[in-house]
Amino acid sequence: MLSDIRVLEISAPETMQAGSVLAALGADVVVVEPLTGAPGRRMEPFLDEIPGIERSLTWHAMNRNKRAITLDMHSADSRELLAGLLAKFDIAFDAASNGLAPLDDFTLPEKLVRIRIAPFGPDGPKGGYASSDLTVMAASGAPGVTGDPDRAPLFFPVPQSMMEAGSDAAIAALAGLAARDCDGRGQSGRVSARISAMMSAMSQHLAPPAGNSEIKRSSGTFAIAGVQVPGMYECADGFVMISVAFGPVFGQMTNRLAKWAADENHLARNVAEISWPSFISDLQQKKVSSADLHALVEGLKSLTRNKTKAAFGAGARKLGLLASPVFSMKDVAESSQYRERGLFTRVSVAQGRAIDVPSRFAQFSNFAIESRRPAPILSEHTVEILENDLGLSRIEIQALFVHGVI
Amino acid sequence: MPAPLDGIHVLDLSWVMVGPVSGRYLADLGADVIKVESSRRIDPVRTLGPFKDGKSAPERSVSYHNLNAGKRCIALDIRKPEGRELVMRLAQWADVAIESFTPGVLDELRLGYRELSTRNPRLIMASTAILGQTGPDAKGTSGVGTMGAAMSGATHQFGWPDRPPCGPFGPWTDGVAPRFIVASILAALHRRTRTGEGCYIDVAQAEAGVQFMMPAFYEFAANGKIPERRGVAGSPLRVPEGVYRCAGDDRWVAISASDSAHWGALRNIIGRALRDVRFDTVLGRFRTRGAIDTAISEWTLEKESDAVEATLQSVGIPAHIVSRGLDLNRDTDLVHIGHFKKFTDAVLGDAEIEGPRSGFDRTPLPDTRRGPRIGEHTNEILETVCHLSKDEIAKLAQAGVLA
Repeated sequence: MLSDIRVLEISAPETMQAGSVLAALGADVVVVEPLTGAPGRRMEPFLDEIPGIERSLTWHAMNRNKRAITLDMHSADSRELLAGLLAKFDIAFDAASNGLAPLDDFTLPEKLVRIRIAPFGPDGPKGGYASSDLTVMAASGAPGVTGDPDRAPLFFPVPQSMMEAGSDAAIAALAGLAARDCDGRGQSGRVSARISAMMSAMSQHLAPPAGNSEIKRSSGTFAIAGVQVPGMYECADGFVMISVAFGPVFGQMTNRLAKWAADENHLARNVAEISWPSFISDLQQKKVSSADLHALVEGLKSLTRNKTKAAFGAGARKLGLLASPVFSMKDVAESSQYRERGLFTRVSVAQGRAIDVPSRFAQFSNFAIESRRPAPILSEHTVEILENDLGLSRIEIQALFVHGVI
Repeated sequence: MPAPLDGIHVLDLSWVMVGPVSGRYLADLGADVIKVESSRRIDPVRTLGPFKDGKSAPERSVSYHNLNAGKRCIALDIRKPEGRELVMRLAQWADVAIESFTPGVLDELRLGYRELSTRNPRLIMASTAILGQTGPDAKGTSGVGTMGAAMSGATHQFGWPDRPPCGPFGPWTDGVAPRFIVASILAALHRRTRTGEGCYIDVAQAEAGVQFMMPAFYEFAANGKIPERRGVAGSPLRVPEGVYRCAGDDRWVAISASDSAHWGALRNIIGRALRDVRFDTVLGRFRTRGAIDTAISEWTLEKESDAVEATLQSVGIPAHIVSRGLDLNRDTDLVHIGHFKKFTDAVLGDAEIEGPRSGFDRTPLPDTRRGPRIGEHTNEILETVCHLSKDEIAKLAQAGVLA
């Protein structure tokens, strides 16, 4: 797909996903790291829980298929080398911290598409904000509506704003490339990690200006007529999720769900045969009662308690329900659906240690995402890139090393 | 200067969220996106809120407009032979097609990639089903992003260890998968400029969700440890990092102050409660997390969350309120950027939706327009894209094809 495209990634947590997507699609991606290694190399979890520059599993996960060079970003030599490299690449990614990004004061080659990722708006009142993945996610609006009201708002245990921003940066880079395919000229583009992360808040922030009350945290449950309707149900070996929905479209699924519970003797037949699509209006007209909904919820609890995740999943798929098993990462790794579909490729995380990773985010009719190489070790490709791209001699490269430039 | 995707034509056969969001990305970038809908089988997102002023109606769903901004809409009954033929003509016009049908349905309608690409070999077509098109469980399986989150391993990790999983907010993978769909489409468009080749792209929402959880997957695959719910926000290896309750109803602030400069600044601000010598070192702080969190909470508890944010940011400490809907609407940064696009409409009155998620120096993006009404552009599309005469259009209308 992108076999003719070269990407230079000034590595930061937010650039890793951007480079990773383009590398998966076939681009030659080179990460530029400071001499001490990119910040991503110090992100947990670590291989065998032993830290080390080559042992970050976050780094391994997000730098497959890339090559790596080190550059002391501050010396005159490094700046000259970086300027030389930029002229050889099609796309560059960099990320701003406290309002400044590494490529801000470079004169960029005309054909280069550069995407600058910043936590907030580049020139807005928060443009100079100090930030972390946690604070950017807090600003996204998603945690503010997530979790149990009696406890703190919930965040993902895996940093997410870097995923959201990096993914949008990949799209922006490819859009810039599309423009360049028309007129041969590159440009700078920008992505705000907070705006990217607002995707995970869905449209909830549009409720107040549309004249609705603000959404508040509700544990993933909702209450109707005093009945708490959970989204998660315990099953024989974990949990399953069920959306009990009403209305003309999604309410049909609740009809089928209720019939399933009745067929297996977990719900009284007369309750199952209620018209669930019209339940809300029927409740207002007192044709049904909150006791019916309570009975449905208890019936579902009983139905799921006796089923494994796999058995419930198979039943839910057969009936076309808004319901599925809640997979752990072990379930993901063992899923016959994912395995047989070809989601996984094998990649090395250390010498003699290969694992299967779910790397094929898309299946194509005439292209396949492959693990061409594992995440690079520190400075693994410095010599070959300086030689091949900038025409430096071995002795020049040694001189740069002696002086701590590379 | 034209927008990046100026001149790119997109046939949007999708509904609800994942497909429409993918189409919206392309519309934001300047593509001409035609949404195919039927008043007999409306996009279900039109039945989901928030609705303008809380009044439910197909054209009043703000979510619908947010997910379909900038598109045109043709109303078609694609199960009728004439409707099917019009989809084929639109596919001939299109560079890209996006569809979200349950796997197998488009083939039954003879509108799958095989048929469309016969008419237009340069077509790039993407499908967005929950489990994709292949594999033992895919055929006939439909679903939404709450299920995608559950099957991606995300929901399992999202919540408190002593409670059932909570799961992320809303249909999470409906927002994740478009990133991979759009990137794949744009990469295929780039390749097409060189080779002329079209392409079929099959993205499974649940598999896309796994991508955002990849470090956790590696933790299982490499270390054999199943990542579980942690509840507490922030990295367990950083102290202090987390969310702290502030004054007011369910108000919180997120603070990351484990780096030494940030920690020093935080100590200066909070003062005596953080002066304990045990807090001087990383290890000391790590071993006294509870005491430090208590001291910070006592300091934040009496203060407004935005005042805490301002105080800490004034000395360079990463901090931000845990925003809710109203906070985002009033957020100075989002207002400055103009992220929320206001419009006035005969049905909605004054309303607002989000702007695009990227910007460019040389090729500005088109203005954000509300989503189209059902069939709003049927006639103009039939005339200018399908090249039908007014008589032909009238006959189709009479035959019930344009509904």
